[in-house]
Parts: sequence; structure tokens; C-alpha cells
Amino acid sequence: MRRLLLCLALLLPAGIAAAQHNHAGRGTPEAFTATPAFGPDGTLWLVRTEGSRVVVVRSSDLGRTFTAPVPVTPEPLNLDWGPDARARIAVDSRGVAIVTFAIFQDKNFNGRAFHARSTDNGASFTQPRPLTADTTSQRFETVAIDPAGRVFTAWLDKRNGAAARKAGKPYPGAALAYAWSDDEGARFSDTEVALDNTCECCRLGVAFAGPGRPAVIFRNIFPGSVRDHAVVTFRDPATPGPLTRVSTDNWKIDACPHHGPSLAIAPDGSQHAAWFTDGSARKGLFYARAESDGAAFGPPRPLGTPDRQPARPYLLSAGPALHLVWKEFDGDKVAVRWQVSTDSGRSWSPATTVADTGDASDHPLLVARDDRVYLSWLTKNEGYRLIALGGAS
Amino acid sequence: MRRRALLATAFGGLGLVAAVAAAQVATVDEPLSFSRGSWAKLRAAHAGLPTVVHLWGLTCGPCLVELPHWGELAKARPDLRLVLIAADPLPQEPARVSATLAKSGLGNAESWSFTDRFYEKLRHEIDPAWAGELPRTVLIATDGTVSVLPGVADLARVRAWLDAQAKPRL
Repeated sequence: MRRLLLCLALLLPAGIAAAQHNHAGRGTPEAFTATPAFGPDGTLWLVRTEGSRVVVVRSSDLGRTFTAPVPVTPEPLNLDWGPDARARIAVDSRGVAIVTFAIFQDKNFNGRAFHARSTDNGASFTQPRPLTADTTSQRFETVAIDPAGRVFTAWLDKRNGAAARKAGKPYPGAALAYAWSDDEGARFSDTEVALDNTCECCRLGVAFAGPGRPAVIFRNIFPGSVRDHAVVTFRDPATPGPLTRVSTDNWKIDACPHHGPSLAIAPDGSQHAAWFTDGSARKGLFYARAESDGAAFGPPRPLGTPDRQPARPYLLSAGPALHLVWKEFDGDKVAVRWQVSTDSGRSWSPATTVADTGDASDHPLLVARDDRVYLSWLTKNEGYRLIALGGAS
Repeated sequence: MRRRALLATAFGGLGLVAAVAAAQVATVDEPLSFSRGSWAKLRAAHAGLPTVVHLWGLTCGPCLVELPHWGELAKARPDLRLVLIAADPLPQEPARVSATLAKSGLGNAESWSFTDRFYEKLRHEIDPAWAGELPRTVLIATDGTVSVLPGVADLARVRAWLDAQAKPRL
């Protein structure tokens, strides 16, 4: 508590102060998220958005007890509360934790993305610094550590849209931008744009095809305002590969679905995607598998019961297994449904309910410690839960 | 609101006057709170009367473009019983909801706003098959028959529907 007060007393860093025009007023929407990562010693790290601040807590007993919250953002901020936005955390093999988050700069949903890190086992975080020098808008930033220990970050960036409009040219959506850090998240490289005209309001999914080879899944804008999903797998750290369309759902919409996809890559190199669509070709939640990066995705398999609002899918590959969860609602309770595959996504166990709740909830997420996979879920009634999948931990 | 009531109790008469004044301002300025059970109340309040429910959101770009057209329709058609529901995935600032409607010529329309974080439940009560996409228009006829116009509404269809409601049934 003393540390918290001390941090609150610190001056607001200029970078954030400049971007923070509007202070949160009464009734301002509030994010309700908790995002997990395991450290090398088995400690669970959670980054949480609590009203107008981002905090990190740690647990050495698989989520039963947590340390006191350590602020990442010492001052209250107008955090990005978009339904698909969340602070993210990655912990590297030496226990350095890197957090990313975004704030709203204005009432038009222009964001500003920041990063901060802890090199003292979570006792403190560095002053948040912008991920990029451009001030137009960044949202849906995500951070992940590749198999060689480099830190990769990607986000949706509006600089090219602003430039195009200035030149009198149309520019739907945003751009998929990225940067790397070779020093455990202390600094990030100059921003590169992998691709223009992605949907601007859905989370990204990231997995690695190998060292220096991130694969990013996102809602793309195809000709005719069709917002279907695509994967870009990098050939090397500086070369995004060609766009692979996951599915032709034909969702023609000039709006924000606020509902992003998830991606996993199995040890055999196969790619696995799960996503929500309301297209004319199909509606609901789906899963599809591609043999390798760049290969065409197979036929979409529907997930869940169509009249139960199946939503918010999450995929994770850990050891020999692929895990898939999503939310369903039966009119009374929200359930997290779970399926597992041990043959590279060719066949899946019957869906079972691993947790449920009777009020508001965050998206269900998956996190692995060695080969053990856990559901990480924040709900209003039960608080935070870490639930081992496939039996007791 | 509950907090205001408690305050009034704590501070006696003067507090009560202040609380009532605040509540009156709130009813003029702010949308009605849409929470668990509100849909049934809304349906009951309009039962037997042809009603157009328009679901929109502050976080929905096309909705903001469309709203002024609803404002024009409301002005041109006094027979339009219009109910607006701000159905954003996260509860929004009530003052922004009202200001946006007032700017679109809808300051006097019946207005609700999602205030309950249990988004799945609110959507399910309105329509179990609704994935939450906005805008969305629900036409409820005198006999309770519901037709849905997903996306930006074709207002010619709404006018035709209004005309059909006005005709005596044989």
C-alpha cells in the first residue's frame, strides 16, 4: 500500500500526459480484464485493468493467492476499454516481464499504445513508454516472446489511413504494424507496417512458426468491405509473408465486430484458427486447420450451439495437445466450453464445460506451464480463476 | 440513484430537495437504464401498439451516421412510436448517449441505454439469435409480430410498415 501511494505521488510522465486529453468522467466505460503469463520459475503473472489503471499481481500457488498489486500505470488513465482490448504480458526465460497496454487519446477511439517492463521480479515497473513515435492511433497491441527470446509486438495502426485521407484517398480500416526488441523489451525497433487495410477494432492473435517467424491472425478487409479473417506468417523477422485467407465467410460490414480471432501453431507446423463471423456464407463461431504456413485452411467446423451465442474463442498448443475454449450462454449462465486434440487438430474431444458464471465475464484465455494448460478467466461473481484443463493440477 | 436516496436520508430535508432536483435533471438528460428484465418491461409498456425499437451504439460508426435519418423520420411521422436502445457491449456515459440523440433530433424519443455488464443476458432477453451487431431495428406490430431489420435500416421499409399498421385489419 505504501508503495502504491508512493507511485501515485510520482509525476505523470510527459508522454502519457500529452496523450491523455480527456480524464475519465462519470459513467466512463471500464475495462474488466485479466491476462496471464507464466514465468520460468512457474510463477503466474497477471496483468489486470482496474478502472483507470493497469496493475500486475503474481501467484506462486497457481492462482490461489496473489501478491499485492504493483502499478504499471502510476496515474489514472483513460484506458482502452474496447470489448476486445486488454493489457498484455509476456515473461521471458530470465523472468523479465514486458507489459503492453493502450489508452484512448480522444472520443473517436484513437489509441496510444505503451510498453513497460519489470527486471526486479515484479517489484516495480519502468515508466510506460510509447511503442511507436507516431501519434495517430495504435490499438490492440499484443506482445509475445519468440522461441529465440526476442520480443515481438504487433498492433493496429492508423498512420497510413490519416496520410491517405490527407491526400484525398480512401483508406478503409487500419494497418497491421509491428516492432521487435532485442533487449528484453527495454527498447523496440522502428515501426514497420506489415499490411494495410485490416479491420480496426478486433484483437490480433499471435503464434510462432519458429524463431523470428511470428504468425499473426487478424480480421482483414477484403474488397467490398468484407471483413473475413487472414493469417500472415513472417518469412524472417523483417519479411511478412503473403496473406492467407482463413475462410470466405463473406461478412460484409462497415462496422466494428469487436470480436477478434485466435491462432495456434502445433509442433508439426500446422496452423489452427478460431473465429467469429456473421457472414452471408456462415454465421457463428468456427475452427479451421491448415497443414502448414501458407497452406490453404480446411473447411470451417462450427463450434458450440448456434442459439447460445458461441463467442470469444482461444486456441493454445502445448506439448502434444491443442486446446480450444470458447464462451456459450444458455439464457442463464455463461459457460466456458473446452475441446482438446492430440492429433494435430484432425479430431477433437467432445466439448465439455470447464467453468461457468451467472454474470459479467472477461474472455476465456489459455495459458501453459510446461505442457500443462490452464483456463484463465475473470468473472464478476467468482473473481479470477485458474483452472487446470484435463484433471487436477 | 440509490446513492442519492441514501444521501437524502442521511442529510435530511435539505438533502432530499437536492436529491429530487438532481433526479429530475437526470430523467430529462439521461437515458433509462436497460438492465436484466428491462426488455420485458419495455415490451409490456408498448403492448398492443405498433412500436419501432432501434438498437444503436456510441461505439458503432454506421449507427451515428444513421441516427439523424431516424430523427427526420420521427419528425415526419407522428405515428412512429420509436424506442431507442444504446446497446454498446460496455455501458457508456449516459450524458454522451443523450447528447448524441439530441444532436440527431431524437432528444424527445424514449431512450434506454445498456447499464448492466451482463451483456450476454441483455442480448439474450432481446433476441437469443442476436450476436450483438449494430445497428438493428425491431418492428413490433399491434399483434406482437416481430420483424427484424439487421444493419442500417431501409427507412422506406419502415414507412411502408407504418402505413400497414395504420390500415384497419379485416
